[in-house]
Amino acid sequence: MAECVGVDSNTSGHSMDKSITLPPDEIFRNLENAKRFAIDIGGSLTKLAYYSTVQHKVAKVRSFDTTAKAPNDKLYEISVQEEVTARLHFIKFENAYIETCLDFIKDHLVNTETKVIKATGGGAHKFKELIEKKLGLNVDKEDEMTCLIKGCNFVLKNIPHEAFVYARHADSEFRFQTANPDIFPYLLVNIGSGVSIVKVESEDQFERIGGSSIGGGTFWGLGALLTKTKRFDELLQLASKGQHTNVDMLVKDIYGGSYGCLGLTGDLIASSFGKSATADKEFSKEDMAKSLLHMISNDIGQLACLYAKLHNLSRVYFGGFFIRGHPVTMHTITYSINFFTKGEVQALFLRHEGYLGAIGAFLKGAEEDNPNQYSWGENYAGSSGLMSVSPDMNPMQRARSGTFDMLEMDRLERQLVNLPLLQDPSSYIPDTVDLTEDALARDYWLYCFEDALDGVVKRAVASQPDIPEAVVRAEKFRQKYRHKLLTLRHQPFAYGSLTVRSLLDTREHCLNEFNFPDPYSKIKQRENDMALKHYQRTVESLDALSWEDRQFALVSGVLAGNVFDWGAKAVSDVLESDPGFGFEQCALFFVDNSGVDIILGVMPFVRELLSRGTEVVLASNSGPALNDVTNGELQILTERIAAMDPVLQAGLQEDRLTLVQSGSSSPCLDLSRLDKVLAMVVRERQTDLVIIEGMGRAIHTNYYATLSCESLKMAVIKNSWLADRLGGKLFSVVFKYEVPLGKVHHNGATLMLS
Amino acid sequence: MCLSKTVGHSMDKSITLPPDEIFRNLENAKRFAIDIGGSLTKLAYYSTVQHKVAKVRSFDTTAKEAPNDKLYEISVQEEVTARLHFIKFENAYIETCLDFIKDHLVNTETKVIKATGGGAHKFKELIEKKLGLNVDKEDEMTCLIKGCNFVLKNIPHEAFVYARHADSEFRFQTANPDIFPYLLVNIGSGVSIVKVESEDQFERIGGSSIGGGTFWGLGALLTKTKRFDELLQLASKGQHTNVDMLVKDIYGGSYGCLGLTGDLIASSFGKSATADKEFSKEDMAKSLLHMISNDIGQLACLYAKLHNLSRVYFGGFFIRGHPVTMHTITYSINFFTKGEVQALFLRHEGYLGAIGAFLKGAEEDNPNQYSWGENYAGSSGLMSVSPDMNPMQRARSGTFDMLEMDRLERQLVNLPLLQDPSSYIPDTVDLTEDALARDYWLYCFEDALDGVVKRAVASQPDIPEAVVRAEKFRQKYRHKLLTLRHQPL
Repeated sequence: MAECVGVDSNTSGHSMDKSITLPPDEIFRNLENAKRFAIDIGGSLTKLAYYSTVQHKVAKVRSFDTTAKAPNDKLYEISVQEEVTARLHFIKFENAYIETCLDFIKDHLVNTETKVIKATGGGAHKFKELIEKKLGLNVDKEDEMTCLIKGCNFVLKNIPHEAFVYARHADSEFRFQTANPDIFPYLLVNIGSGVSIVKVESEDQFERIGGSSIGGGTFWGLGALLTKTKRFDELLQLASKGQHTNVDMLVKDIYGGSYGCLGLTGDLIASSFGKSATADKEFSKEDMAKSLLHMISNDIGQLACLYAKLHNLSRVYFGGFFIRGHPVTMHTITYSINFFTKGEVQALFLRHEGYLGAIGAFLKGAEEDNPNQYSWGENYAGSSGLMSVSPDMNPMQRARSGTFDMLEMDRLERQLVNLPLLQDPSSYIPDTVDLTEDALARDYWLYCFEDALDGVVKRAVASQPDIPEAVVRAEKFRQKYRHKLLTLRHQPFAYGSLTVRSLLDTREHCLNEFNFPDPYSKIKQRENDMALKHYQRTVESLDALSWEDRQFALVSGVLAGNVFDWGAKAVSDVLESDPGFGFEQCALFFVDNSGVDIILGVMPFVRELLSRGTEVVLASNSGPALNDVTNGELQILTERIAAMDPVLQAGLQEDRLTLVQSGSSSPCLDLSRLDKVLAMVVRERQTDLVIIEGMGRAIHTNYYATLSCESLKMAVIKNSWLADRLGGKLFSVVFKYEVPLGKVHHNGATLMLS
Repeated sequence: MCLSKTVGHSMDKSITLPPDEIFRNLENAKRFAIDIGGSLTKLAYYSTVQHKVAKVRSFDTTAKEAPNDKLYEISVQEEVTARLHFIKFENAYIETCLDFIKDHLVNTETKVIKATGGGAHKFKELIEKKLGLNVDKEDEMTCLIKGCNFVLKNIPHEAFVYARHADSEFRFQTANPDIFPYLLVNIGSGVSIVKVESEDQFERIGGSSIGGGTFWGLGALLTKTKRFDELLQLASKGQHTNVDMLVKDIYGGSYGCLGLTGDLIASSFGKSATADKEFSKEDMAKSLLHMISNDIGQLACLYAKLHNLSRVYFGGFFIRGHPVTMHTITYSINFFTKGEVQALFLRHEGYLGAIGAFLKGAEEDNPNQYSWGENYAGSSGLMSVSPDMNPMQRARSGTFDMLEMDRLERQLVNLPLLQDPSSYIPDTVDLTEDALARDYWLYCFEDALDGVVKRAVASQPDIPEAVVRAEKFRQKYRHKLLTLRHQPL
């Protein structure tokens, strides 16, 4: 007899038109270098995963040999080099295309080392022979549940805005969760044909603690019998139009109102399908489908809550084909969880839920490459984003998502970790404004980025003056980025929370995609050279000032990195009122721009700190972003300055001045994803002051970040809309000095000066 | 996510027993209570019975001259004792029954009738008109729990475990004087899961909208069969594996590393999602029954675990005497708790609401201060579970069913020296579990009946009509023995 299992087997299969809407070479990218294949075949969708390498251009800086007193007055030379990085490709398509896709892969596969393809999913055995014949690879089956959990752990760890809460009628349908580095333990409720309820305790430890036979297959099966509608999607459509109260017996149908002493409101469902037991009438398909949907969602919701309570788990993720991108089921499951836990537990969904099995199977096959030792980042240029939830809003996008969907992840060259000085890593949100929740702000920024696009394209072309075809690539970049902006206008949640940072990062990804690795490299070079010439004189004039005047001038100098018209008298007043400021053990300084900013603003400030005995760690970007100074450039700059400045020279020699890379290639800063070395240095040096400089790092992100030590956030607001938002004027100076509670010698202050 | 018992369909309206054998002792009846469900009405009243008791009295030993060498004299006296009457009948008979009650009601002190159940408001006017009593509505859940506490305390073999293929289908539990806490899962149209902690303390900790109404409603839509009993009949003949997707249908066998055997249901109705074929009514009904029973079973187990409760009683019209549902619920509980929790059922589950409503009205008499004993002569007993075995009995149960309880003159408690009161079983041989012994003893008692009748008549030599009464006794007891042969429980 009976029991209840939950079996993933994503079986939402029905035939669609078989035209491939995108040319396969735009989908199966980088196949030439592909190796380590994995495939997850569900009832209707196939998910293919492979590992590949991408060769792309990077701008490298190299110091000129300074001993060879060359007439060249440039500080360093820029060379464009080819670099190979690892990328994970995940492609989802309907089973109907599987043969075509396998043929395409076979034709383009160059790498012949690959002998095996990992396979999982209920359909794996069905297509085993076809795959072996077409690709000439051995199919190696992996356990479905193990793959699912492995994949889930991977996305939760590596994709910051992976999980979201669904709220149909809220301002933003999707509320993305900040990634908590500590993802365990959690409950995964996989609603395939049946339901599996799995408790995941660590990377390798999980247990199926429960399940139910009332799942997606029941909705589909009973729905088909009741409505004669055979397609899962159509059943959901029917359900979204129905009135369950016509079929269900409500509390008020029995008691005439609420059942007060038991706390049951009149509108609660007392008995699913209770009205169809006695009423001699026909029920509409829509109403029956809706009643069925409620019945199943409520039941699963209650079971999930009970298991979560029994095992003391607060994070419950839902997945499986019943959920997969369907707003109707996400809504009913969310409702049910809220009802049963009275809001104590939130139903969480995953952006890449459909890929979990494929990701897991891939990881099983790639264990020798230790993918879990690296950090991975979603490549916004190559990924499709979350499918549209409102089919009427953007049918084009919806149709495309229905056929091919892609996720690409880049292997980052380093492991990324939290800044150890974050007050509470689990509640840290880097971004100041969530554009998915703020329609006005979203419109403004999307417009800004679109408006700025021409300029970016021009600069990209100008950065490669000797390469004629750069114009063509720049145009391709323009199209891709404009398409992304268009998608984001319709689906702001496509890549998680939409923020100024994600818009900037997406632009960087797209530029890289078309081999514009560092459009600002020449500009930065020029500015650096120019600023360097003034360094000596700036330092001398600073040294001539009294202590008090010097502090004033130093802070001003940092702020003046971009804009010279400042009014920072009050800033130094703040600093003077705190006798402890400036006598820290070690300051961590997240720097911003090249040129005047770093050389004439930051460096003299660093010099002052060093001469007071404070150690300094300068953190700069690992890769280029806008005109931000990169770690490579800063190494050269620092050496050059040290050559003419004994204070810095001594600092370097005595190891009191350290340069580290942040791990980021973004004009913004995510303090929860920083280079592991940086975190180590911060701990070793007992860093007790964090300075964050610039719009991207201190305003768009981290404006509200709380640190466990003193912090100083400095920026000049160069955007009138933002200035307005923050209650100031254009070119206002933000100077935010904060001391954590308990370390009181000063309460901190925020100044906004014009 | 709720309760309410609604088994309503019309049956033939002939009353198979004369009402005066059902509504006994109406002359002295007071304190009425009525529980009207979707299809069945349960009436409760308190009455007094006058009956003869034999008393012995010592002769005056000081009067030395008495020629009488007897130690004591025997006199027959009239004694009045309290009795609770509970009668269950189909709603179709309610008007006839009310008329009969009105005609025979002598006691005029009664002004109020306590009423509960989902149908109480529907028949309120009729009752008030017919009986001239005010209908006083009582909360359904409170009545249910009150009634449940009462039967668990006062009827020794009230609760039982159901095991379809065991030697005895019913294994009765010895009454534990300490009945709290327990979980009551009431499966009416919906399901209510109630934690009962003491006489007056209970909480509805959970519930589900997937209950008896869902079986009935979905069953009616799928099979075009409108009657609940018929749906159960269909289900008992079906093969759920034709409709459900099993683990082996997906994986070709068991899913070993998750510990799932191949025969487990992976997805209820999973096969009907894609297969382009007709499914038989029986198979669909069976699949539905499994789906609902398993779901309720799992929920009950989870709530029992969360609240650390080991006794789980199931009731409501979905369960009420139906071996099919008792079996599937029992199976489900065993599966989910791996045998740690047993599904318990109640013999008088159908009366709980009426008993509770009655107790609410009789609280001034403090019925909980007395002990009550089931009167076997006036009670119908558990309805037959095998319709084919005793169709006569089954048909009767379907129309009228009675429970009578006598108030015992004193409160009964455990011998304080019992090693373990909760495991104490007074009887040496349980005849329900031992068919040979049962046959032997039933034969013995039947064989001895003639002698008993003779002795009864001889005990009242001066009363001519004693012969007639003795003959009535013979018939009644022989009927009981016959019933017990068919339904040992």
